[in-house]
Amino acid sequence: MGVTPEEVAERKAFLEFDDRDVGHLQELTGLAQQYAVPVIEAFYRHLLSFPVGQEFFEDRALLERVKQAQVRYFLDLTTGDYGPDYVENRLRIGAVHERIGLPVDADLGMYNFYLRDVSKRLFEAWRDKPERVLTAIQSLLKLVFLDIGLALDTYIDHRERTIRLQQRAISDLPTPVLQLREGLLLVPIVGLIDSSRARQLTEQLLQAIRANRAKVVVLDITGVQAVDTKVANHLVQTMEASRLMGANVIVSGLSPEVAQTLVVLGIDLGNVRTVGDLQVAIDEADRFLGYQADRSGVARQPES
Amino acid sequence: MAVPILRQGPYLIATVMAAIEDHDWQRLGADLVSLTGGDRAKGVLLDVTNLDVLDSFAARTLATIAQTIRLRGAMTVLVGIQPEVAFAMVQLGLAGRLAGIATALDLVDGMATLDRSVHGAWRHG
Repeated sequence: MGVTPEEVAERKAFLEFDDRDVGHLQELTGLAQQYAVPVIEAFYRHLLSFPVGQEFFEDRALLERVKQAQVRYFLDLTTGDYGPDYVENRLRIGAVHERIGLPVDADLGMYNFYLRDVSKRLFEAWRDKPERVLTAIQSLLKLVFLDIGLALDTYIDHRERTIRLQQRAISDLPTPVLQLREGLLLVPIVGLIDSSRARQLTEQLLQAIRANRAKVVVLDITGVQAVDTKVANHLVQTMEASRLMGANVIVSGLSPEVAQTLVVLGIDLGNVRTVGDLQVAIDEADRFLGYQADRSGVARQPES
Repeated sequence: MAVPILRQGPYLIATVMAAIEDHDWQRLGADLVSLTGGDRAKGVLLDVTNLDVLDSFAARTLATIAQTIRLRGAMTVLVGIQPEVAFAMVQLGLAGRLAGIATALDLVDGMATLDRSVHGAWRHG
């Protein structure tokens, strides 16, 4: 993910992070170099006393690598350069944490630990200058919160991307139009129905009705979890279009939840023949087609 | 352009060969309605296979024709609506206007529908 320079500037402005803070942080460089290793060692001791830490760093080599990266991170805080490279680097760290599956609370816990440990050490180093300590800590807080914001963004961005990909995968599911018997088409619908998918489905179905000379179409929506006004309208349109071409549509597989939703939403499916499950739908279609095939002109009552 | 109306047994067959004007639709309706009574036709097949558009006026007129013909004691079956036309009509919200008219894929199916209806063998839908 990318964060534009304007956005970074905006975030810094919101945190009231300015040149004075840069100055305060630069003054910490010497101390930071002194403290980096002990603070990080302390944190990993802390982390490894929890199951999440032990689980994560079973691999000692990985632990060493991560520690070294942390030292670099730590020293970056006081370089005085918080431009695009800095932001990029923070985003990359966040992305790595997200990829290795480090929980967000562990990530936040780390920032918390560093801030506490560093402020303690600052008070010890500058006992006689409490005001200087205060301003330094405030500047550090601003910068660390900028970091946290960036890190969280990478987490959220990654998750959102995953969701988008999955949504696309679901809506890209092909909807086959199957000929079950002569004159009978079956369309099993699975997943989300959005406008483009509904359109594609309808066009495909209409062509299939003509090509197969279908007289009955069974739309099975067992695999559709959620039906709202839009989805219902899509289905109604598909059915109306099929009917214009002389095919009857039977909808099967309305779950109790879907049926309830439709009623609550006030969607009228009065003109649509709905049945409980696919078997009933096929039975009904067969019965209908049985009459279709009977051209002898002899009236025959349905079996049921 | 007048639409020719053929007679086939107890049925009348009107095939709309190309896009026609609004007044031609009305004339077709009038012709069919009068023939239904005069020839004692039991059914009317309206074939629109060759049309690539059915607009709102056509849809309304078709609905009116079918209703009137029913009052004259015959049944109308609309046959040959193409996939693209059906899709467009649904998109434009015109499908509801034709809700009361029987439809069939083509003349053969339409004839079968009329046969069933005339013989009273099928009472579904």
